[in-house]
Amino acid sequence: MLTAVLVPESLDAARAALAEEARPLAGGTYLMPRLNDHATPPTRLVSLRRVGLDGIAVGPDTVTIGATTTLARIEDDERLAVLHPCVRSIAARPVRSLATVAGNLFVGQPYGDLAVALLALGADVEIQGAAGARTLPLEHMLSIGVAGDELVTGVRFSRPAAFRYHKAGRRRFNTASIVTVAAALTMADGAVHDARIALGGLAPRPLRCATAERALVGRPLDEASVRDAAHAADPLIEPFDDAYASAWYRRRVFPVHLRRALLGH
Amino acid sequence: MPSQIVTLRVNGSPRELIARPSTTLLRALRENLGLTGTKRGCSHGACGTCTVLLDGEPVVSCLVPVVTVDGAEVTTVEGLAGPDGGLSPLQQAFLDNFAQQCGFCTPGMLMSSCAVLRRTPAPTRDEVSEGLSGNVCRCTGYEPIVAAVLDAAERTRQAPAVTTAEVGS
Repeated sequence: MLTAVLVPESLDAARAALAEEARPLAGGTYLMPRLNDHATPPTRLVSLRRVGLDGIAVGPDTVTIGATTTLARIEDDERLAVLHPCVRSIAARPVRSLATVAGNLFVGQPYGDLAVALLALGADVEIQGAAGARTLPLEHMLSIGVAGDELVTGVRFSRPAAFRYHKAGRRRFNTASIVTVAAALTMADGAVHDARIALGGLAPRPLRCATAERALVGRPLDEASVRDAAHAADPLIEPFDDAYASAWYRRRVFPVHLRRALLGH
Repeated sequence: MPSQIVTLRVNGSPRELIARPSTTLLRALRENLGLTGTKRGCSHGACGTCTVLLDGEPVVSCLVPVVTVDGAEVTTVEGLAGPDGGLSPLQQAFLDNFAQQCGFCTPGMLMSSCAVLRRTPAPTRDEVSEGLSGNVCRCTGYEPIVAAVLDAAERTRQAPAVTTAEVGS
């Protein structure tokens, strides 16, 4: 039961409102279904729709996206083509018109594919709290979260040299993840020079997979190195059962989808 | 927190309503404003039958607390008809292609289709499928619906002189 929905018009007002035992509401695509059942305890929400945190800034090297920027807006921005395969793999347009970038960082798996992509892009998260602004690597933020009186104000990442995104779901469009793979790779002299690999659908949170990255660096990108990377990742993944796939199935098909992501076949 | 007055521009007309914190845009349209064309399906944003255009963008209205969109412009299925009450080209194409059976998904299908045609006036079959992927139909199957949207786009291309028959409306 919603007992209050506040709609503050500044970040400071939003943070003040949150101090009164309220939860932040961005697009509502994850939270509202859980509140629409009329069985939840009394809940106060602070809508972030009017706090002015939406916007996209694309510099020569760095991209900054405001926390409440919708996935639809990313989809419509040609400068963000690197993220288009990812956002188009998330839900459908009437949900993407509401769902926000920062919201996607806080949803439970098997959702949150944008967080997987941003993790592989090495994104930083900008956070505003009582003590001022701070920045955390997304990987760190995903594991520790933010304090109750803090708000994510945006994400920032460097444009990658090459970026790959592959999502396996139950159907072509509008499906949650069975396995999601995002990877930023740089090559030098025919070998992998640097790799950032992030996985979705394979753990309670989007997973940065350093062991798989190490298995690739210094080697050519081919069937053998990718197979070794999947093998190296296997002890790290903690797949789960849900309506989309079983944990067993996710673990079984993960090497296939890593190969499809990295080698394209 | 007490109820509050919310102002919307719905299908071109200013409307006021009194909303509780838990009043969704969907409920405001149906129960406060009597616009029952928009349907309530799952209340989880999964079925798409409550889709309306909010400031021109398709949204699942069941997930939007209406107090958060005070001042917004909303278009519902009731807003698609022409000033004389006749069917829009898109609605006529749905009728001619047998794109509805029970009709419960139709308002959402029409609004999502409307959004597809505004973004891509000459969509491919694949673009229509992607654009309608958030709308569930349990009767006809999706083929006649996709055919209707492609047909509407084709008709609009062939009749550019009819300026009131804007594609997607």
